[in-house]
Amino acid sequence: MKRNSLMMLVVAALLLAAYGDRAPAEASPVGDLNSPAVDVSAAQGEAVTIQFLTIDDEDMLLATEQMIAAFQASDPQYANVSIEVQSVPFEQLFPTIETAVAAGAELDVFLADGPDIKHYAYNEAIIPLAEYYTEEELAEWVPQSVEEGSFNGTFYAPAIMQSCSLMFYNKDLTDAAGLEPPQTVQGWTMDEAWDAWQKTTVDDSGDGVPDTWGLRWGQGTYQGDYEHGIMRRSAGVKGSPSYMGIGEDGITFQGYLDTPEAIASFEDYRDWHQGDRAVTPQEPIDNIFFSKGAAFYVSPDNAVGTIDRLYPDGDFNYGVTGIPYYADGAQVCHTGSWHFGVSPQSQNQEISVAVAKFFAGPEGSKIWYDAVRQLPARIELLNTLPEYNEYPQQLFNEGLQTIGVPRIQTPGYTEYQQYFGELAQDIAQGEGVEVEALVHETAIQMEQALAKYEGWQEE
Amino acid sequence: MATVTSTAPTIQPAVRARGIFSWRNRQLMIAFLFIVPALINFTVFRYIPIASSIRASLYEYSLLRGLRDFIGLDHYARMLNDWVFWDSLKVTALFVIYKVPIQIVLSLALAVLLQRETVGAGVVRSAVLTPMVTSVIVASIIWAMMYHSQLGLIQSMLGAVGIPRQAFLSDASRALPAITVMMIWKDLGFSLIILLAGLKAIPHTYYEAALVDGANAWEAFRRVTIPLLMPVLMFVVVTQAVFSFQVFVPVYQMTQGGPLDSTKVLVYYIYQQGFRFQDMGYASALSVVALIILIIVSYGLMRWLRPQT
Repeated sequence: MKRNSLMMLVVAALLLAAYGDRAPAEASPVGDLNSPAVDVSAAQGEAVTIQFLTIDDEDMLLATEQMIAAFQASDPQYANVSIEVQSVPFEQLFPTIETAVAAGAELDVFLADGPDIKHYAYNEAIIPLAEYYTEEELAEWVPQSVEEGSFNGTFYAPAIMQSCSLMFYNKDLTDAAGLEPPQTVQGWTMDEAWDAWQKTTVDDSGDGVPDTWGLRWGQGTYQGDYEHGIMRRSAGVKGSPSYMGIGEDGITFQGYLDTPEAIASFEDYRDWHQGDRAVTPQEPIDNIFFSKGAAFYVSPDNAVGTIDRLYPDGDFNYGVTGIPYYADGAQVCHTGSWHFGVSPQSQNQEISVAVAKFFAGPEGSKIWYDAVRQLPARIELLNTLPEYNEYPQQLFNEGLQTIGVPRIQTPGYTEYQQYFGELAQDIAQGEGVEVEALVHETAIQMEQALAKYEGWQEE
Repeated sequence: MATVTSTAPTIQPAVRARGIFSWRNRQLMIAFLFIVPALINFTVFRYIPIASSIRASLYEYSLLRGLRDFIGLDHYARMLNDWVFWDSLKVTALFVIYKVPIQIVLSLALAVLLQRETVGAGVVRSAVLTPMVTSVIVASIIWAMMYHSQLGLIQSMLGAVGIPRQAFLSDASRALPAITVMMIWKDLGFSLIILLAGLKAIPHTYYEAALVDGANAWEAFRRVTIPLLMPVLMFVVVTQAVFSFQVFVPVYQMTQGGPLDSTKVLVYYIYQQGFRFQDMGYASALSVVALIILIIVSYGLMRWLRPQT
């Protein structure tokens, strides 16, 4: 017995010693970015494989396929560069990047959501690309994209597109309800829009459940900050705590998330989903607008590409109006979109940087735009696309310039987003939920989760 | 022949070789070699991760930044005031309490019925066993669609018998029972197949003896089947309790822990802390506590269900 105990102790000691002082998940240090050594094989035209991680969006995957072919054809030295695409659902992108970088898995280039760039940069999970871009090249993007792709003044990740969510509507359904949404960015106030959503929430079968809903607010079924975080900010006037959404330190939420006007907006959000004035299903239905099950749809202009793909014969009569806003507050659309990041553990950093630069460059952006149909981040492309001077897409360009604000800037955006998503789900689905107490409690939880980033602006 | 026989003992290793090459030690070495693969497996995939988790729980630790400051038992102290942790523990316990007894009773009843090779037994057995070989993620997606408050198949079935639509996954009071039903459906085959094997292993002579003694079917079941099935039952109860305690996939897929944390089980909370909130140190501490709870529960169940001589 004693011998067994002794052996167990020895084994335990060996195990702990083996795990010694080594941080098990240390990210690889960022190497010499200009070192040609890592890319000798590619320069000689030898076969190189780049691992690219993205989300499993059909339009984006189609664009990626074409961009890869264009990259390989762009220069003879890239003819033998193959790019393996791995795709995951949107919700899994962040943890997949984190795990891959921490575990030292093969990952070269990845698609990253704009608000997460600061988190990756703070944690050195992405390499800075400032050396690869001149000031003139950076000026080719809209300023919001450069800001969103930077951390504490250093540029990390080029953007592929920008965004501003406005409200699409199914013209057949609005006509049937006798509605004429204004085809301007200013659009309707929240009260006016709610009235329209109610008029288009129709229960033809009389079974107590609408056959057509008035509203689908946001893409997919996830109740994330990008669209669902707009209302609370719209409830405040420009410059107010509600409008700012977060304290200047990037970690404070009490007094910003739980102001009286923000809480009132969350109560409205509850009533959109529950009770007599409900205008959207309590349990989200995927693609409800595209299947003509909802009259209004708040989304960026990538919905144009989706409609074109799903209804190539033009059998979808739609229009666009401004995003609804609180009359006592400010009209808001969240900006920011996808960027390309290069992993610090890439064994082919020069090629990976070339891939990211090409994808986000003039040719890649055009291919992407043709497939995805969302506001380009590159000014030149934006200016040369005739559709952005015409209704409806002109509204998105105008919205970006006039009402677009970046999502809250913090390296803890993902933690915030997780709590926000839960809050939105709880408010939408929780019968008889105490909104004020829940929002306040969530603000405290967010602060606790983000406390570890205190002083991040000085790093 | 006799000579050979008489000289044989003189070449026995036990007699000739002593010390580390003794016969006994060689036998031990051979036995050890047999368990080496399992030992490597357990060491690499169980013991080292457990040791790493225990160590990580004492540090500030995130995936990307690795281990930072040593903070001793701070994470464990934090748990005491973390009401989400206590809620998740309660939700997990409820899930186990809902699921395991119902599943065991159902599978035992089915096993007794299917023990006799009656007409249709094969069809029923296949129907019960099919979910077992279905991917849990696929099952979760399908059941989430079936439960959907507007589009779900279950709503149509309720409507056919005049019951109005019900919110299952979006109702805080129904979401956990809804997941429990789905998981009972999924795991029923596992317990059934083991109990069926246990029932078939009981010699028929015991039942004949009970019949001769005047026992009816219920008495035979209570006095013969249950006692003799107890070791198998213990295995099923313990494994199902442990597996149920670790439920994650259906929660992740169907409800993401909501609404109002009503389905936030402990493993989902650990995942959330580790991979969503970048707090791997706290997630490790939660894992260690989960492990301790599981050891205690397993030990308690084994003691409770231990066959009485």
